[in-house]
Amino acid sequence: MIQLKNVSYSYRKGFELANIDLTIEDGEFVFLIGPTGSGKTTLLSLMYLDIFPESGKVTVGDFDSDTIKKRQIPKLRRSIGLISQSYHLLEDRNLFENVALPLHVIGHNQNDISDAVEETLDGVNLAGLEDHFPHELSGGEQQRACLARALIKEPDIILADEPTGNLDPVTSFDLIKLLEKINNEGTTVFMASHNYSLIKSRNHRIVEMHNGIIRGK
Amino acid sequence: MDKILFLLSEGIKNLWRHKLTVFAAVFSIFLSLSTIGVLFIAEQNTHKLIEYMRTKYKIEVFFQNDVTDVAAEQYVEQIKKIPGVYSTTLISKDETLKIYKSVIGEDLTQFLDYNPLPISCVVNVNRRHEGLLKIMTIIKNIENIDGVDSIRHQGRLINQIETFYAKGLLGLSAVAFAIIFVTVLIISNTIKLTIYSNKDLIKALRLIGATNTFIRLPFILEGIFQGIIGAIIASFFLYGAVYGANELLNQFTIYSINVNWLFLSWIFLIAFIISLIGSNRAISKFLK
Repeated sequence: MIQLKNVSYSYRKGFELANIDLTIEDGEFVFLIGPTGSGKTTLLSLMYLDIFPESGKVTVGDFDSDTIKKRQIPKLRRSIGLISQSYHLLEDRNLFENVALPLHVIGHNQNDISDAVEETLDGVNLAGLEDHFPHELSGGEQQRACLARALIKEPDIILADEPTGNLDPVTSFDLIKLLEKINNEGTTVFMASHNYSLIKSRNHRIVEMHNGIIRGK
Repeated sequence: MDKILFLLSEGIKNLWRHKLTVFAAVFSIFLSLSTIGVLFIAEQNTHKLIEYMRTKYKIEVFFQNDVTDVAAEQYVEQIKKIPGVYSTTLISKDETLKIYKSVIGEDLTQFLDYNPLPISCVVNVNRRHEGLLKIMTIIKNIENIDGVDSIRHQGRLINQIETFYAKGLLGLSAVAFAIIFVTVLIISNTIKLTIYSNKDLIKALRLIGATNTFIRLPFILEGIFQGIIGAIIASFFLYGAVYGANELLNQFTIYSINVNWLFLSWIFLIAFIISLIGSNRAISKFLK
């Protein structure tokens, strides 16, 4: 479960998130909709504790922002799969190495890693592209590679920050269907987007954000 | 174990991935270590020179006329125990007379009915003495022994030579330390550039739950590998330079540069330490 209780956060430049209350249950698929600059990325950053709230409390699974120790943050992030608009794929590593990285971080052995990468790439329709480097992949393939990297460690939660931002409508739609498939297997998905037309037809809860304030829940 | 192997392989792969910055770091380490190596060799050879000069230092001790052979032997034993004294040679009255006769050509006992020459002793200092040899202290200690009448020595000159040598050693050490310090800064800044060019990797690693140690280790290993490569190249360079210099020297002189090559283990140790400090310093600043 993800829970934000009366959370506030402000940047020096003046923008702030004010008194956010939000709960996402385990296994839920929730869209976060709002215009660019409304605070969606800040809200997601609070959820994986890249930033800490100035007031209020963020709870993600067994961890919360009030009591978590610095050394526990990597452990929290291992339970979360992050997907972002800018992919964050490593240009000097091929697809296999990019996707395998989280398992190296956790400390899996090489045989398990090879099997898991193969299986995960197959699941996101990237089988056969293991030796390709990110610049050799299309935008959609890069985003699916990013998704594969998030999925390989079998996270409890997927946080997706504008994952369709750089994709065409067809590829965007395919990605959402893929996320729904993952959600059906029990993973909680929280996806931020500014493209309402893309998500309105999906049968999921929509949370609306505007100028740092949550409107619909 | 798999994690350690992965980090080790990442450290090695990073050398290829960051080849430009690695080249810059290895080159600066090579230059610094070569300079430090030259200073080591210079120190070893100046030490040989000072050892040679110390064999030429002579202290002649003359005992009072009434000192008997037995008493003189006891005084000589006391002289031997003074720190810095290596050996002594006792010259009896008869031997002194013989020397006088062979040098001057006259037998003093023909004019006088007795031998007026005193028993004496030649003192040799320890040529392998570490650091500054305090010749005046040795002379003072000899002066304090009963029965000593006078001492002939070149104390002031020896003192000047020894002081000059000690100051030279201090200067060489200061230069070596300055080079080590600058090398740490260079390595640290080069690795900082490498890290900056890998900020995406660090960001990605953080997002997938890597600990700071996991992020830090490949960069530190990369730094250590750079240090070792720099040390290997510097070792070959120093060996070649000494070999070449000796070939050249042998054409004109009998003098050659002698090197105890065990000092290369110091070069490797310095390379290891400075690259460890440099890389750790750089990544720590980035992971704050």
